[in-house]
Amino acid sequence: MTRPMRQNNSSTELTAKLRDCIDRVANQRDKAAFSTLFDHYAPMIRAYSLVREPGADLVADELAQEVMIRVWLKAGTYNSQLANTNTWIFTLARNCRIDYLRRNGRFVSEIDPTEIFNDMEDESPSPFEMTHQSRLEENIRSGLEKLPREQAEILTKVYLEGKSHQQTSAELKLPLGTVKSRVRLAVKKLKVLVER
Amino acid sequence: MDTIKNHPVAELLVSYSAASLPLSQALCISTHLENCDECAQKLRRLNQVGSELMYQLKPSPPSSALKAQLLDRLDSITGNGYTERHSPGNPSVPSCLHQFIKTGYEDISWKRISRDIQSYELCRDQNNAKVELLRIRPGGTSSTHTHMGDEYTVILEGSFSDEDGLYHKGDFLMRDASHQHTPVATRDKYCICLAVTEAPIQLTGFFGRLLNPLIRRSYA
Repeated sequence: MTRPMRQNNSSTELTAKLRDCIDRVANQRDKAAFSTLFDHYAPMIRAYSLVREPGADLVADELAQEVMIRVWLKAGTYNSQLANTNTWIFTLARNCRIDYLRRNGRFVSEIDPTEIFNDMEDESPSPFEMTHQSRLEENIRSGLEKLPREQAEILTKVYLEGKSHQQTSAELKLPLGTVKSRVRLAVKKLKVLVER
Repeated sequence: MDTIKNHPVAELLVSYSAASLPLSQALCISTHLENCDECAQKLRRLNQVGSELMYQLKPSPPSSALKAQLLDRLDSITGNGYTERHSPGNPSVPSCLHQFIKTGYEDISWKRISRDIQSYELCRDQNNAKVELLRIRPGGTSSTHTHMGDEYTVILEGSFSDEDGLYHKGDFLMRDASHQHTPVATRDKYCICLAVTEAPIQLTGFFGRLLNPLIRRSYA
């Protein structure tokens, strides 16, 4: 969970550069820009896949490709007022992963997840979100660094390993209620759900 | 629209944002989100938490061949199956339910389960949960009941009340197995709900999976 604190300036520059790349993919079908996005995001998408399925290198490659194809096709729908580039890629990766798991019979459901988890294309942000986006990012980032280990552990299980509360409770040998309350506490500490 | 007063709890929204919950539950939350800007906004922030966690992982670079392969393919990739969400359905039905309801609530072949209530099963989910629509006639009631497992309800049309309050379109309710209640639809119109009821028990492990079909049969 530790990561060197990035300098604010370089982080802002990077964000601007990635946003510009998405823009160029959308408007000019710019392959060089796409290649930059690939270099930046494919290693992270692979990491996201591998944390759920350690050692499954081919699955990780497939997910990275699948997500980047969507980036190529959907760049025009990206709305920087709704989500920073990282969050957009995260939602694409999350949606691709759940779709992939279902298509490969890893869980059986008659419900089509693509109809549930959309890629944030038809939403509109509130004025509050538009003006406070970067502060929110900062809050979340610094909040995660300060989170007690047992809460961070549970967020990792849920967000990255894709574990349900029940699975988390079984794996960590914790009562279900404890899992839920730790998630609640973590979210409270990150101040993401606080009303203005 | 009436202001929505009943929302999914924080830990459920987190699981939704992570896509790490049974799809039947996700379906209920998604239905609620289509009606609730407040939760939709919360969700976007939770997605941001997910993305921060993802970027804290140690990056795992792919082989250089992977990028070359993909760049070669780019021109032949078409949007088919990627950019279109299927079935533009009836706008009065939440879009995440269009996969099950092609036209409107009127055209469904409702099944009578009591004098006041009709149901229509949409599907079963992996966790053996039953996903169905319930339609209560104006002023109608279901007998007092407890649930075998957790129950999730989202109101699609109309209103109902129970011992704990009055609920309107878009409201999201979660009741656990210990909860006893008697819902009554308001007198002005039909109340239609999306309801997900979890099976009484879910056995895991090798022998458990062998036994599940037997349990399922008695649960139907």
